[in-house]
Amino acid sequence: MHIPDGYIPLAQCVIYYVITILALYLSLRWAKKNLDEKMVPLMAVLAAGIFAIMSLNIPIPWGTSGHMVGGALVAIIFCAPEAAVIIFTLVLLVQALFFGDGGITTLGANVLNMGIIGGLVGLYSFKALIRPIGKIPAVFIASWLSIFLAAEMAAVELWLAGTFPLTTGLLLMGIYHSIIGVIEGILTVVVILALEKTRPDLLAWNRIKEMDNKKYTPNEVE
Amino acid sequence: MKSKDRNLIIGACVICLMIAVLAPFIASKNPDGLEKSAQQISTTQPSGVYQAPFADYSIPILGNGPYSGILAMIIGIIIILGLGYLAAMIIKRRKPPEISE
Repeated sequence: MHIPDGYIPLAQCVIYYVITILALYLSLRWAKKNLDEKMVPLMAVLAAGIFAIMSLNIPIPWGTSGHMVGGALVAIIFCAPEAAVIIFTLVLLVQALFFGDGGITTLGANVLNMGIIGGLVGLYSFKALIRPIGKIPAVFIASWLSIFLAAEMAAVELWLAGTFPLTTGLLLMGIYHSIIGVIEGILTVVVILALEKTRPDLLAWNRIKEMDNKKYTPNEVE
Repeated sequence: MKSKDRNLIIGACVICLMIAVLAPFIASKNPDGLEKSAQQISTTQPSGVYQAPFADYSIPILGNGPYSGILAMIIGIIIILGLGYLAAMIIKRRKPPEISE
């Protein structure tokens, strides 16, 4: 769902750039406080992995295709939407600059949709769903929702830009991305399960549990 | 670097390379959800205000073949991996963690 140059007028692009820069500023502050040495290789490989997987367009019905995005994945792994903002700014910048995938003027809008909306929706719907339906179904639905809502956000932006009509824009973007979201959901679950199996220490939910245990050990509570 | 982290990077690189090699052969050439929607309900064309050096994930002098695509993907993966590592090193927490191992 990379929006190319020319789909959004410049004045509106500026607004999305401002939102993205603000989110990036907050995310860098988060990193300074929370991103420890151990997470550096994870950040780099996630960025590379997301770049690679985005090139793998899987066919869906109606002569359309779609690829995984990974906003929810990053936010859930780090338990922080800020990590998704940082990684997607980097990946989308390289895709636009070197590969012409997504525009330069629309970079702000693309980071907003895939990084900010994708990360926020992914993480917070996961957190809301984990108790009622369990971890893995929560990961699946949260990542489906992150793609669906990011696409609908893009439809709204393109309507504001005068490029898409509102209702058919929402309808078509919604239909296509509800299918693409299933691919997103499956792959997100696969990656999370693989990490849980091989490197559980990299998943923030395990580290948070560990820290909680340390906090409440009897000899520390005096 | 700890061996665990080295394995993570090697493992991820292997997966990325597999995707890079397979993508030109198996990736669908159909338009994605946004392009398809645009074809159906919009007359706006991409402005092409900026020409990327490896547009459409191919190396211009190698033409449009699969090898061009594979090489473009590998270049991209190396750029992202390097930039990602560098960026994370710069923005990471300065203080040592409170709980030492």
